[in-house]
Amino acid sequence: MIARLVVLVQIALRNLFASFINFIIGGIILVGTCTTVVGGGMLDSLDRSMSRSVIGSVAGHVQIYSTKSKDELALFGGMTGGDPELAAMTDFAKVKTALETLPNVKTVVPMGVSGALITSGNTVDLVLARLRDLYKVRDGKNVNPDLADLSGPALTEQIAAQKAHVRQIVNVLKGDYTKAKVLLKKDTEETREGEEALARVSDDGFWAGFDTDPYGSLEYLENRIAPLVTDSDLLFIRYAGTNLDTFQQSFDRMRVIDGQKVPEGHRGFLIAKFFYENNMKLKNARRLDQIKEALDEGNNRVIKGDPVLERLVKENQAQTRDVILQLDGIKTAQVIAALQKLLKTEQTDFAELLTSFFTTDDQNFRERYDFFYKEIAPKLQLYRVKVGDSLTIKAFTKSGYVQSVNVKVYGTFSFEGLEKSPLAGSMCLMDLMSFRDLYGYLTTDKLEEMKALKAGAQAKEVSREHAEDDLFGGGDVVEAQATAGVIDDKAQLSGTGQAMHQEDLVKRVYSREEIENGVVLNAAVMLKDPARLKQTIADINALSEKDGLSIKAVSWQDAAGLLGQFILVAKLVLFFFVGVIFVVAMVIINNAMMMATLQRTQTIGTMRAIGAQRSFVLTMVLVETLVLGLVFGVLGMGLGTGFMSYLGSHGINATTDIMYFFFSGPKLLPTLSAGNLIAALVIILVVSSLSTLIPAVIATRVSPLRAMQTDE
Amino acid sequence: MGSIVSIRDVVKEYSLGKVVVPALRGVSLEVEKGEFISIAGPSGSGKTTMLNLIGCVDTATRGVVEVAGQDTGKLTERKLTALRLDTIGFIFQSFNLVSVLTVFQNVEFPLLLQRKLNGAQRKARVMQLLEQVGLATHAKHRPNELSGGQRQRVAVARALVTEPQIVLADEPTANLDSVTGQAIIDLMKSLNQQKGTTFIFSTHDYKVMQHANAVVRLADGKLQGRETGEAAVAAALKGMSVAPVAQAAP
Repeated sequence: MIARLVVLVQIALRNLFASFINFIIGGIILVGTCTTVVGGGMLDSLDRSMSRSVIGSVAGHVQIYSTKSKDELALFGGMTGGDPELAAMTDFAKVKTALETLPNVKTVVPMGVSGALITSGNTVDLVLARLRDLYKVRDGKNVNPDLADLSGPALTEQIAAQKAHVRQIVNVLKGDYTKAKVLLKKDTEETREGEEALARVSDDGFWAGFDTDPYGSLEYLENRIAPLVTDSDLLFIRYAGTNLDTFQQSFDRMRVIDGQKVPEGHRGFLIAKFFYENNMKLKNARRLDQIKEALDEGNNRVIKGDPVLERLVKENQAQTRDVILQLDGIKTAQVIAALQKLLKTEQTDFAELLTSFFTTDDQNFRERYDFFYKEIAPKLQLYRVKVGDSLTIKAFTKSGYVQSVNVKVYGTFSFEGLEKSPLAGSMCLMDLMSFRDLYGYLTTDKLEEMKALKAGAQAKEVSREHAEDDLFGGGDVVEAQATAGVIDDKAQLSGTGQAMHQEDLVKRVYSREEIENGVVLNAAVMLKDPARLKQTIADINALSEKDGLSIKAVSWQDAAGLLGQFILVAKLVLFFFVGVIFVVAMVIINNAMMMATLQRTQTIGTMRAIGAQRSFVLTMVLVETLVLGLVFGVLGMGLGTGFMSYLGSHGINATTDIMYFFFSGPKLLPTLSAGNLIAALVIILVVSSLSTLIPAVIATRVSPLRAMQTDE
Repeated sequence: MGSIVSIRDVVKEYSLGKVVVPALRGVSLEVEKGEFISIAGPSGSGKTTMLNLIGCVDTATRGVVEVAGQDTGKLTERKLTALRLDTIGFIFQSFNLVSVLTVFQNVEFPLLLQRKLNGAQRKARVMQLLEQVGLATHAKHRPNELSGGQRQRVAVARALVTEPQIVLADEPTANLDSVTGQAIIDLMKSLNQQKGTTFIFSTHDYKVMQHANAVVRLADGKLQGRETGEAAVAAALKGMSVAPVAQAAP
């Protein structure tokens, strides 16, 4: 048997090199297997890196949600960009208890995922609020404990500094208006009004008379100037409302970076560190960070000639407005002096100084970076929201009215190993009670409130000034002007009883039962053995059916929505591509083997005459193609493996945000599993066998009589 | 001594489109074991058809062909193949060696199909035969490195390697020069005498026919006569050399 096979293989090998067309076929098979190996390995690696991000950050292994939901769950947003409409699971405690009876279920973490727009505070508003506070101190009506010690020359100096800050803002705005007029040819009633207001407040007369009626002047500034400032860009923030206690335990790679975790049972908000750095940090500082990170990366990356880094430098040169707007008179003077010294110049224009400061190159970058963080950054508010601030989040409830909640930011967090993953780093965390409030679900608090209302509780009037202090005074790191991140506080404060109510809520401690006995939109299920994912999903769905839980379990891929499908789509594209290669290979192999068979009818006929059965001939032709496939397929696999191990040791750098996103970090170190090689091997064998089937059958039909005919 | 081949009233017809062409028109023939028999006749007389029927590569339209006691008309394709493998050795006009195999492997090939002997036994058998045909030193050569005569000797070795009862040779010397052809016939004859293997070969070369101990003469698909014994053969050939389509001897 073995000897027979040896001869067959020998025949095959010798025929292999007999025909030029075999090399063409071999080349196609080689490319095909190489593509299969590399593509399969890459996709599997991507799949793993993405699943790490998705499972480790928010999805868990399995997600459950109500079967009554109108849409399918999509944790990272759905096809339409909006949030899917999910029906609530009204009795989460029951679901949790039931699921945790399943052997492979470790924990069930309740959730609700949504997003909202927040706006950071208007810089003018903040400055004016501080100025107002200072005047109150002057007039002996202080309400801000931080300013209690301020008096005499120090107070006068502070007032002068804030006034200078306002004038600086006015100057910037005037510049903006002049530019807008030239560039956009905008000359409407609105712009004229703005210009008039700016002209009035930049007049020295306005400021000379400021102290006689500070509150009136402040009001004019608040009403006429503050609306002209457009620096408060909208920011979309995505968050999961969850039981923060169990979340922190279940997603054990979660680490608090700044601040602290939300105390057990408290309402609170944690911002994803990645999001915090990229979206909430002062842009100039962020750009300096990005340049530094790139330079520190190794690979001898330099600013000169690097389009990304050069763009960052240019943006920093051009966009100094944020820095200028933030600094009051005193700080501006300090920074100007420091910059003059550093840059050895007599230049007094702050904007010009900043522009030349941000003109960084490979020689001065590190010096400027250190200078920025040592001299300038401490005077700036680097982040739009600080740890300890309160964040007001507004959302539309299911019934369509706007609901807002005020949550204290306790800190920032990231997941170990996923620090740089935009995917894992985009989702912030909110306590479940606030989430329920925000989306109009009934919470224990709401129930109490309704009871209280029924009992005819009295509404307490809260003045605007008091409310602000009540709301934002509680944080340990909060500075007086630290109301950044508050959205539209007017709306927030217009409600009378709500402010007090909110204050109570911040302090309140909830029991685990209170958190879990209630409405939940979806929940993450953590498994003991992730390999048994499919089985567990089936188990959960069966259990739901049996106990009438009305829940549906889906894998993390499905739960991730479009994102989870990405790998699937990429795989389909790869399969299509490899498929095309192999279909072409099949057609060519088929034709070539047909030709080879027809050329060899006499040999085949001779073998048949001598006593070879049809099965022998069939085997011979099949072995021939298999050998062809194997020889070139193994070469292709070797090539692919070599390429992959090169990539595996050197890594693929994520050069764009999108790559970052899929690599779950700055670098993908792809690995090749035995599965990829086996898959390639199986494909080769199947393709070779299939493509030879027709020629092989034709070969078996060659009559032994053919041996008797002489080739003329 | 029983017949190794028994042909009775065999008709073989080929259809070329709608036309039916008769190749054999009612032929009967008995071949005894150990005979060295030549089928003679001009082109188109039915020599090859007769060999094909005896060689079990084709079956008769009518009549009975018995090879080694088996009625070939009643055997399946598979059994016919097995019969060929175990009972018959073939020598072809154009040698029909497998060009990608070595001399050794070509000779060994039928043994591999048979699966009766182990590697050592196969090697011994093949080398013994290559010795006999004088090509032991060429065992590792490929057919295209050999001369025509050498190739035909390899073919002879291949035909005999399974120790068949019958060896069929279709015009074995047609592609060889006369000296080489003579050597091949001598080789076949000596093997016939050593091993008692029945040799049936077709030829239209009178020199070749002279070596046969029997001649079957065919013309137009009919048996013209069967002469057995050297004298009868010589006499018959004498007639044939004058008139190729000779009358049957009295």
